[in-house]
Amino acid sequence: MLKEYFKIAVKNLRTRQLRSWLTILGIVIGVFLIMSLLSLSQGLKATVLNQLRAVGTDIVMIIPGNISDIMTTMMGGVELTEADLNTIKNTEGVQAVVPNVFKGELMNYQDKTKTVILAGMDIRNYLDIYENDIGMKIAAGRWSVAGKREVVVGSLVPTDVFPGLKINTKATIKGQQFDIVGILKSRGSKQDDSMIGVDLSIYQNITGERKGAPEAIAKISAGYNVDQVAKSIKTNLEQNAKRRAAGQQGESSYSVLTSAAVGSIVGGIMGIIQVVVFAFGSIAVLVGGIGIMNTMYTSVRERTKEIGILKAVGAKNSTIVMIFLIESGIIGLIGGLGGMIPGLGLAKLIQAIGQAHPVFYIEASITPGIILFGLLFSIGVGCLSGFFPARSAAKLKPVDALRYE
Amino acid sequence: MPESSIIKLDNVWKIYQLGEMQLPILKGISLDINRGAFVVILGPSGSGKSTMLNMVGCLDLPTKGQIFLDNQDIAKMSEDELAQVRGRKIGFIFQQFNLLHNLSALENVMIPMVFQGKSEKERTERAKSLLISLGLEDRMNHKPTELSGGEQQRIAIARALSNDPEIIVADEPTGNLDSGTGKKIMEILINLHKNEGKTIIVVTHDPTIANYSSQVVHIKDGQLVANHFAEEKVLWSNNK
Repeated sequence: MLKEYFKIAVKNLRTRQLRSWLTILGIVIGVFLIMSLLSLSQGLKATVLNQLRAVGTDIVMIIPGNISDIMTTMMGGVELTEADLNTIKNTEGVQAVVPNVFKGELMNYQDKTKTVILAGMDIRNYLDIYENDIGMKIAAGRWSVAGKREVVVGSLVPTDVFPGLKINTKATIKGQQFDIVGILKSRGSKQDDSMIGVDLSIYQNITGERKGAPEAIAKISAGYNVDQVAKSIKTNLEQNAKRRAAGQQGESSYSVLTSAAVGSIVGGIMGIIQVVVFAFGSIAVLVGGIGIMNTMYTSVRERTKEIGILKAVGAKNSTIVMIFLIESGIIGLIGGLGGMIPGLGLAKLIQAIGQAHPVFYIEASITPGIILFGLLFSIGVGCLSGFFPARSAAKLKPVDALRYE
Repeated sequence: MPESSIIKLDNVWKIYQLGEMQLPILKGISLDINRGAFVVILGPSGSGKSTMLNMVGCLDLPTKGQIFLDNQDIAKMSEDELAQVRGRKIGFIFQQFNLLHNLSALENVMIPMVFQGKSEKERTERAKSLLISLGLEDRMNHKPTELSGGEQQRIAIARALSNDPEIIVADEPTGNLDSGTGKKIMEILINLHKNEGKTIIVVTHDPTIANYSSQVVHIKDGQLVANHFAEEKVLWSNNK
């Protein structure tokens, strides 16, 4: 019987083709928006979280200043002092402290000069941490040797910064020649992938910066609770700072971030983005739903007599409701399909563009879950919008409906 | 109520509320219709005859009084039960034909059977045989708008007969047809009465139709002014 109602519903939609298509278009636009944005933001979240996962869970990051005030800290040039680094190193449970030092410097490569981020890396002591805990891997060539004027470059350097740059060539930084010996694999952020890595001792020589670091990474010894060690690093740093600053005004603060904490912060931010994206998309679908409701109410009015005829020949109220719900459900379904296919297509296209020009790393996440959700959502909106018109159709008294002209 | 009575109206009132004013359309009509009768309800327009027919056909309910269909008070039935009765026991024929314009002739005849849950095969066979018996074998796949008034009314008759109802209710069935076509439609109804024993109730303001009937009911201003049976018909005609 449902099959027959379905046939009747399809016939009705086809009788009013232009209006049906316009109504469907309303849903298409909304679903298109939701699907493309949702799959992109989902993909973005996955990409970012994957990057974080490359950083080991036994790693904490120490930044001077309060995390909520990070801009001030960076602009104000507050750094971790040698004393701070020693405090961290001496905290129980800390296996190693790797200072993260970097500075903008001019680099010349084959007649071109550009400002690059020069990072000092303690290759002698911590190569293992760079590789395994921070996720820096060689894609081509080799690591530079400690004490030698050799550099490794991020994955974007040969494509974006100095297009055509090759290993086993030379570059000049601050008047000194360096051999380019290795290219790193992408770590997923533009900043990381544009850096030039040089051995720490050389870095100190050419920049003149021998002490302190803007930030540091600490590796926690096996068997220690990362959160607890992070807490004691913070406490020790703050107590030492207080002692040193006795009599002076102000108070130093430090932020110690575990990768889990960073992950949850990023996850939280991405979650908010997704909610916002979904909310905006939903508004579009809601407008589409109101379109369906409008069309269905008009349809009920136009078909009042037809409803009267159907009732006169034995249609129950539930039958009338069913026919109208199927109609609005079909509008929703076609709208959903029509919006989903180009929506996911657009997301894939953006992904492809992102891969061709690795400026932004974005992946479109297209899962069966997203597809199912999109379809159910649009059918649901269709049926929900059709419900009230359907009920008002069913409530018509047969004799009044038949008399309607 | 006599044993053979299929429809019984007992002091039926229909009153419409127009703002503050009450407008009585039917004023206490009582009437018995026997199983297998051919009843013609006559009356000028606005007399309330269509209103009465709608209630007999379970499309409407009385404001006061009772209507019994097979000894059941229709006012006590649920909306679904009324829909069921309309689908199974009653076949409607309207002055405006009231066919569904986006369906073919065949589909129009099949619709009432869909609501009774009949199989596609059964529906198609029944609809085809009805259309053939009414001389519409060449018109089955035509849309109503492609057909003449007489053809449309014959489709409507086929639709009314699709669930083999006991009662056929016709509201001015010839009102939109020329006299020749109207006569043919009436002949179909007479045959249904004679050959298949259907109870037929026809509302009209055309007195000539009364000649076909076994019972003539005359309504004026919402009241029953005359109720004649075949034997008395001549007398009634003379008195008019």
